[in-house]
Amino acid sequence: MTFNRRSLLAGMTALGGASFLPHIAHAKGSIVATTYPGTWEDAYRGVIAPMLKKKDDIDLELAPLFAMDQIGKAKAARGAPPFDVFVLDPGPRIVGMEGGLFEKFDAKKLSNLGKLPAGFADDVGVHVSAQVVGIAYNPKKVPAPKGWGDLLKDPWVSRLGITGFQTTFGTSSLIEMSKLFGGSLTNPEPALVELKKVLPKIAAVGLPAAMPGLFQQGQCDVMYTNTQTVATLKGKGVDVEFVKPESGSIAFYTTMHIAKGTDQLDNAYKYLDLVVGKDAQEALTKPPYNFVPVNKDVPLPADLPMKSLDEMTKYVEHDWSKINPLRAAWIEKFNKEMAK
Amino acid sequence: MSVASTALTSPLRGEEKRWRLAEWQLALPLTLAFSALFLAPLLLLVATSFFNDDKITQPGFASWTKFFGDPFNYKVIFDTLLLGLKTVCATVVIGYPLALVFMDLSPRLQKVLLFVIIMPMLLSVVVRTFAWIVVLGREGVINQGLMWLGVISEPLRLLQTELGLVISLTQIEMPLMLLPLISVMSRLDPNLRDASAALGASRWRTLFTVIVPLSMPGLVAGCLLVFASSTTAFISQTVIGGVRLIYLPLVIWQQSLVVYNWPLAAVASLSLVVSVLSIIAALSYLGRRSSRHLQG
Repeated sequence: MTFNRRSLLAGMTALGGASFLPHIAHAKGSIVATTYPGTWEDAYRGVIAPMLKKKDDIDLELAPLFAMDQIGKAKAARGAPPFDVFVLDPGPRIVGMEGGLFEKFDAKKLSNLGKLPAGFADDVGVHVSAQVVGIAYNPKKVPAPKGWGDLLKDPWVSRLGITGFQTTFGTSSLIEMSKLFGGSLTNPEPALVELKKVLPKIAAVGLPAAMPGLFQQGQCDVMYTNTQTVATLKGKGVDVEFVKPESGSIAFYTTMHIAKGTDQLDNAYKYLDLVVGKDAQEALTKPPYNFVPVNKDVPLPADLPMKSLDEMTKYVEHDWSKINPLRAAWIEKFNKEMAK
Repeated sequence: MSVASTALTSPLRGEEKRWRLAEWQLALPLTLAFSALFLAPLLLLVATSFFNDDKITQPGFASWTKFFGDPFNYKVIFDTLLLGLKTVCATVVIGYPLALVFMDLSPRLQKVLLFVIIMPMLLSVVVRTFAWIVVLGREGVINQGLMWLGVISEPLRLLQTELGLVISLTQIEMPLMLLPLISVMSRLDPNLRDASAALGASRWRTLFTVIVPLSMPGLVAGCLLVFASSTTAFISQTVIGGVRLIYLPLVIWQQSLVVYNWPLAAVASLSLVVSVLSIIAALSYLGRRSSRHLQG
């Protein structure tokens, strides 16, 4: 058998055309949604994707990206979003709003809207999970710290792992630490001054994504993080406990938003409706995922530091519209103060 | 020129011309791909760097003056290049003797060794990097081993140190040094060593005056690859080195994907490209000079 140019081209065209076949087979289409790498990705792949397929016959494709990376990619795409739905923390959410990256959100399209506490859906997006930030420690290595100030003292400081202003939990924790030394929401400098004094003793200064791994490997035994990371580490058999600092835990909500210019608007609403629905929220609350639910019909897990979502209003919350404009300078400052 | 010879060469010249055209056409897809995927983004990067604000609306030199007006950034550039040089030195010190051993092995053992050398490349760099956390960590293999032997009573700090980073990069980048080195050294005539010995040269003299100069093209190629790869190894630098060791890839990541100051990220990126290319050009020049020295 011999191949000429025509038969080769015909073969290649047929092969290329075959790649469209699975899409033809899809009844209701698909959706590309971002998710945070790690537990979020596992949970959405394991729970939400099969549920969405079963309920609405929609294929969920997940793009694991940190919040800031999502904003960066959406900005770079300039009107042609590489995904249909964002999942974001408060800081990046404001950056996305300012950059006009979201479709106007019509909360009335969610059949589960009534199951959410008041104010959990607005014209930008919907709250899908709560996060509580505090201190994690290894009870077999160090005693329980009482608050942010303890982290700078022995025996905790020599086992402390810290991260900078790249993430919501890192920024929030450093702000709270700074308040003990005269700092404020817009001035975390005192925390950096105090950290620099004990810098040679600090066990690890890492990227946010690396911190759970460093804790698991015993490189550090104390760190600031959220309840979900603690529960996930516990699920892996790591000796870890969560401490609510004396000055209060930090609380914030994770939200989802529909990307401006998406051609999957209806599927995006169906996806978001499913995510805040009772079945999905209940499944996500269970180990090994350990999400904090936002649906009023789903009880909070027993090991959380609060008994209800209303209690979270007493927790420390930060105004990210004031933090965002200052964060670039803080990151540079952190680099310079911590650099070897 | 005789008529006969003209008649003989004319069709050949025509053939040659057609081939030349065909070669040009064959290179066209690569040229277009290179222009679209490398040159165009590079030009875009240069253009982006000449804006003053993160919204990319005001043209100017502010990003350049900001980046190079801060002495801290000079330290970052210097540390990045130094990391590359240290990794190159370590891979040469360990890799060169291994390549010499390779030359003396039987073809069968050479295949086994080649497989061992290539094996790390079959693993993702992320997996290799995280494996080094397990090795270098406070409760890692090295610390546990030394404590079990009674050499140390407290774990050593290996992770998040430059030493730990250079050790891991040496292993991660080693195939890039060994493959070009072995490729050149395996082509060396084995009789050269015997001839050198027969003329009275010691083994060390043979090594430094015969083997090393002849293997220089492979050595230089290996150094270039290791240097370029280690200076840009963002994952290894940040995961193993931590964020107290600040190198240019971390600054680029922070500026582009955390604070979205793309003009400043573009300046940092171009600084990385230019500084790494400068060292690569210097290494290439040394390589060419040594080749000319050998030939001349």
